Amino acid sequence: MNTLLAPNDYKSPLKPIWCPGCGDYGVVQALYRALSAVGRPPHEIAFISGIGCSSRIPGYTTAYGFNTVHGRALPIAQGVKLARPELLVIVAGGDGDGFSIGGGHVPHAIRRNVDLTYLVMDNQVYGLTKGQLSPTSPRGLKTVTSPMGSLEQPINPLLTVLAYGAGFVAQATPADMPGMTALIEEAIRYPGFSFVNIQSPCITFGEEEQQLKAHKARMKPLASLGHDPANQLAALDLARAYGTELYTGVFFRNPSPPPTYDVLVRERQVELQRGEPRPRSRVLDNFPRS
Amino acid sequence: MIEDLVVGLAGSGGDGVVSAGESLLAAASAQGFHALMTKSFGSQIRGGESSCRVRLSTRKVLNPGGVLDVAVALNWEDFRRFGAELPVGPETVLIHEAKAGPPPADFAPADRMPREVIGVPLAELAKASAGTDRAKMTVVLGALAGWFGLPRDGLDRGLQKKFAQKGEGLLEANRKALARGVAFAVEHPLISPRTLTLPIRASPKMICDGNEMCASAAIFSGCEFFGGYPITPSTEVMQILARELPRYGGVVLQAEDEISGVGAAVGASFAGKKSMTATSGPGMSLKTEVLGLASLAELPLVLLDVQRGGPSTGIPTKPEQSDLFAAAFSAHGDVLRPVLAPTSVEDTFRVTVEAFNLAERYQTPVMILSDQEIAQRKETVDPIDVSRFELVERIRPTPEQLAAGYQRFSATPSGVSPISHPGMEGGNYLAAGIEHDVRGAPTASGAVHAAMNEKRFRKLAPLQERADLFEIQGAANAPLVLVSWGSSAGVAREAFALARARRLPVKLLVPTLLYPVAEPVFRTFFAGVQAGLVLELSHQGQLYRLLRMFVDVPRGVTSFARSGAQPFRVDEVVQRLAQAAETLR
Repeated sequence: MNTLLAPNDYKSPLKPIWCPGCGDYGVVQALYRALSAVGRPPHEIAFISGIGCSSRIPGYTTAYGFNTVHGRALPIAQGVKLARPELLVIVAGGDGDGFSIGGGHVPHAIRRNVDLTYLVMDNQVYGLTKGQLSPTSPRGLKTVTSPMGSLEQPINPLLTVLAYGAGFVAQATPADMPGMTALIEEAIRYPGFSFVNIQSPCITFGEEEQQLKAHKARMKPLASLGHDPANQLAALDLARAYGTELYTGVFFRNPSPPPTYDVLVRERQVELQRGEPRPRSRVLDNFPRS
Repeated sequence: MIEDLVVGLAGSGGDGVVSAGESLLAAASAQGFHALMTKSFGSQIRGGESSCRVRLSTRKVLNPGGVLDVAVALNWEDFRRFGAELPVGPETVLIHEAKAGPPPADFAPADRMPREVIGVPLAELAKASAGTDRAKMTVVLGALAGWFGLPRDGLDRGLQKKFAQKGEGLLEANRKALARGVAFAVEHPLISPRTLTLPIRASPKMICDGNEMCASAAIFSGCEFFGGYPITPSTEVMQILARELPRYGGVVLQAEDEISGVGAAVGASFAGKKSMTATSGPGMSLKTEVLGLASLAELPLVLLDVQRGGPSTGIPTKPEQSDLFAAAFSAHGDVLRPVLAPTSVEDTFRVTVEAFNLAERYQTPVMILSDQEIAQRKETVDPIDVSRFELVERIRPTPEQLAAGYQRFSATPSGVSPISHPGMEGGNYLAAGIEHDVRGAPTASGAVHAAMNEKRFRKLAPLQERADLFEIQGAANAPLVLVSWGSSAGVAREAFALARARRLPVKLLVPTLLYPVAEPVFRTFFAGVQAGLVLELSHQGQLYRLLRMFVDVPRGVTSFARSGAQPFRVDEVVQRLAQAAETLR
């Protein structure tokens, strides 16, 4: 463990605007600890988010942050990572940001396997706009936009991300701070696209059974079930319980991670740049002349 | 003797019309002619109608030309689909595949019906000489060489290049077809013979199209990242960069959609790299939100919009100049982003370099408005002396600034604040689409928002003084004006020269910078003006209306605009100018 950088070195002077009791306070604390454990200095970290309560999180760290537009954190983060692969790039957002407006980007970030860590703070509700239905809201949930109860089947983030082929998939809750810290650290260290679904309660609009107290009672560490994280089929099976069971821990970790897209891109660049240097000022020589 | 020849060819997809046009272009270029070729297709991917027009001249070719000197129809149906794009007149030599029969009675109005119509048994001659009717376009080239005095060695070199890899047999067969075409022309001389004046000497030229030129200029400018999504007619830019950019250490990402393409480019710019995206109208609509983010976060970005007919899918394969409003205004909030337009393939180099420079200097997205004609037409281009181009890099914070409480959005007199990027120690800040203070901290303060808006507009104020981004020709006190932009400017330049030769008191303005409207430049230009035209290819006349938002355009200056895929002709512009001149006091 790196002793040079303490968790507080990742904490910015900005005071979070989250509601008192919001699960995201726990997430940012766990993140400070995980980053300190990984030990990369803040200026080598790019922290990209979308829009939503949880997307405020980059501003509460000392890393380079980019609080972008709704649903587009993943594409922007891929641009950052491909432009500067030496950076540690973390992406964060809520369930609406990642699985509703930005849902179209998730499969592509995963299939490219850009080395990003994607933290979704999943609270099954739109908090910033004050309590509307989210893509992970359970069927039947009554909200201001579903006053008689939702008729929609929620999306299952764990199952979809596993099905898209992510190499690292985990679930955490602020009800287990050491567990969440360890999972975020492991996700960051995983070489490739990693995903942590964080069940982060919305204290203001969330359901009773989604609060920390209920989490403490409901959560079941996957390790205690004897789950082998290298077993992708078992992971898929367990992920089906999203919405009924609160499993925590690593669902799937690819035991032999394939090369990441950013590494492959760099290798190809190096290969193409072998031999005669090609000054950009000679680019017009490429055209046929007569 | 003639100095200028416009040839239009049309046929079905498999006829090799475009390939023949390219051979003609290459041969003309090898001979020292200036030349330009435009292509036009139906929307089918294979088959369907296809056409091209080639203009060659001993002088610089400014536009694809108007009424055809020579029209080549492989069949009547396909030729007529191109209507206004391949206009004929009494002087046009109309050559057609003999077996298609004579032109239908309604081929052209009586006053525009070509006087000289020659049926050539193209397929038959090809088969007899080359052994295959697939060489029929080579017969056409031979006939053109015979009738108009195009030197055969240039055409032969073109054949060699084209068929060298396909085997000696094919090359020899096409040589025979070429000779047969020449012989046919000799056997059937024109009633009114015309022979091209040859250029005095051949100087080396490049042959390329606007998309190729844009991609090359991006590489020259130091672009290190491109994110995009395939869309006609801009896709070639991504294709070329996908091949070339990695050789220079850059990255190209074909994203999953238009939004992702511009998003990745903005991410790369945040990471400190010169970056770019390209699209056409529909993609422009989708990219709007992320463009606003780049404006607010003050990140450099170049966006190429190759305009096509719109709105919605419109006419994807044909040019229009109807995205100017979208380029200038498609954003929520108060946004100012520079919009530049090239007027030719050659000009695309200068404009693209300028776009990167403005983006980096002022930390803003910059739009390049090209259009399908410029993007996909091939031109002979004189060698470009790249050493005369200055390249601009964004201003980075000094070590002292980084050590002493760096402020990303510091209030500077210019409005431009030094910009750090991830990896730079001490430069850490929060970039955001949310309004922020000088340090980047989010704020909902109206006072800070107003000050930041003022800063983001102030930094672009120097553009008002960039007279070098405007081409002005003619006497400063001329009371008659012609204003045009983009591909239409090529027609305007020729019309201007002709109008002046006819002693019309006219001056010409071609802006490279369309937005922000450089008010001082236009005020000076319009001072004392009584009449004139703003020439552009859109239904609304978007530049005309944009100018009227910011400048007192004299009442007698009117919009001459029409929808895309109906290019302007020099003669009609001169006629309109002459009419406008009659109103002069």
